[in-house]
Amino acid sequence: MGETSSSSHSRQDPCVLGYGFHGAIANSTPANFFSDQEGAVYFGELEETFMHQVASLTRTQQAATTSIAHHGDIKPFPTAATVTAATATARPPPTLDIFPACPMRSLHTPKEGSNVTADSTDDSESSSKNNSNHSSVQHGAAADMQNQFDQVSQQQQLQHKNMATSSTPRTGKTPDRKTIRRLAQNREAARKSRLRKKAYIQQLESSKLKLAQIEQDMQRARSQGIFLGGAPGANTTSTGAAMFDVEYARWLDDHGRRMAELHGALHAHLPDGDLRAIVDDTLTHHDELFQLKASAAKSDVFHLITGVWTTPAERCFLWMGGFRPSDLVKTLLPQLDPLTEQQLVGICNLQQSSQQAEEALSQGLDQLHQSLADTMAGGSLIDDTNMSFMGQMALALGKLSNLEGFVIQADNLRQQTLHQMHRILTVRQAARCFLAIGEYHNRLRALSSLWISRPREILGADEGNCGEISIAAQASQSQFSSF
Amino acid sequence: MQYGAAAAEQAWYMPVVAPSSAVETAAERMERLASESAVVVFSVSTCCMCHAVKRLFCGMGVHPTVHELDLDPRGRELERALACLLGASGASAAGAPVVPIVFIGGRLVGAMDRVMAAHINGSLVPLLKEAGALWL
Repeated sequence: MGETSSSSHSRQDPCVLGYGFHGAIANSTPANFFSDQEGAVYFGELEETFMHQVASLTRTQQAATTSIAHHGDIKPFPTAATVTAATATARPPPTLDIFPACPMRSLHTPKEGSNVTADSTDDSESSSKNNSNHSSVQHGAAADMQNQFDQVSQQQQLQHKNMATSSTPRTGKTPDRKTIRRLAQNREAARKSRLRKKAYIQQLESSKLKLAQIEQDMQRARSQGIFLGGAPGANTTSTGAAMFDVEYARWLDDHGRRMAELHGALHAHLPDGDLRAIVDDTLTHHDELFQLKASAAKSDVFHLITGVWTTPAERCFLWMGGFRPSDLVKTLLPQLDPLTEQQLVGICNLQQSSQQAEEALSQGLDQLHQSLADTMAGGSLIDDTNMSFMGQMALALGKLSNLEGFVIQADNLRQQTLHQMHRILTVRQAARCFLAIGEYHNRLRALSSLWISRPREILGADEGNCGEISIAAQASQSQFSSF
Repeated sequence: MQYGAAAAEQAWYMPVVAPSSAVETAAERMERLASESAVVVFSVSTCCMCHAVKRLFCGMGVHPTVHELDLDPRGRELERALACLLGASGASAAGAPVVPIVFIGGRLVGAMDRVMAAHINGSLVPLLKEAGALWL
């Protein structure tokens, strides 16, 4: 079956083989319609479409012979437009739809050329529109076709013989027809790709403009946010929190890049001097995050301390707005082998001292909680006569402001721990250490996203959800398969 | 006569020969207090961060001498002196609490962040040993 059809046919295919082959052929690659079995292809298509075209097959025979006759015509096509124009006009009545044939271009080019040229140059037009166009073309040309039948009937015999001869192997005869068709197809393809390129460039330009506009808006919003930073109000995320989230996302991206760079540098066995520079940069990058967190703590300490800025799995391990330094050291210790005796002692001391510092800060925070609770419960909680409500509130506000100090001290502890690790370890060990830290947090983030997208049991699931569940299950399966 | 009256009220103070301006006296007092013990912590009884620093030392087995400024009649001056000291040595934001401040062996260590940094980088314990607050 001639599924292969030329580009010039692809637009008419909806008409030609519309009833059965619309989807399949609509975007087919341009191929030479004239295969070795030209005649067979034609007749194959004929048979196919006969099935669909029940009514008005009166002209079928004549139409068949007519179009076949024109296949034998060896006149060169000036442009693809004329090809398509004539092709379109060759099928005005439904019976002629089945022939993606050589056009009767000499008869109808001037009349229908402009109309169909528009069609031929527009690849993105819907085929239904093509259909309607062609149908109008068809109806217009139908009458003409009928007039031409008598004129060309004399040629039918001659061209039928040509058609038969043309079905012999094409390598022997000069394939003018094929070359012409191929050239036409190439032109069509080139025109289409030019149009696609133009459309793509337009899309790029518009997105560029949009991006510039969005950046401008963000700048404006950020400056306004800084201006209004003192009074967050009752909205869910204060501007300080929102700003921190944006900055943190950017930091994470940066971090990913640096980890990749570090990984590459480590395995490329760079000299220690170069590696040291990269490791120092990584440490500085972590310091930048602590700076960000410090300023975020001043504007919205609850955003940090509740861990909204982290992923769920990280939040599970959250201690005072971040990771617990002693836990991190404990996790890293086995990853850093081999260590010298001195290094081992240093790291154990680090673990112990960070643990003591954490303990101290936690106890301080506990006292803050207790003190706050006492203030809130001060006086009578039951009786409405509470004269010192605002006094209580003022006191509580003062105590709450201490929270900021604790988060900042906790971050300070984290920063100092990282710096001490960097001091104890050699350059290569430090590189591996930072990679390990990055990878550990990456895994926690991956765990979080897997957890969020895990398939859930829906009690009394309706039909609609079953598909989702199975898809989700498959998705998580594929995710797990990579581990 | 100042001795007598002063001595009665502030029996724990050493006699001051010539009382100069309040800030100076406070500064001197601060220095004196800081040198009296191996580990001295200036604190406020309701401050939670001070509580944290006290817990830190207790956890290490150190028993610091704690001066609660809010319970001291001349605490306000002392606080101001401490603020000046901190301001001179570097970091103190306006409105941020001055306390806790730690002296070890008569020398200023600093606020909570300095103390923790010293502990993490391993310099706190030798300092404590040197001052005689830790035996190991």
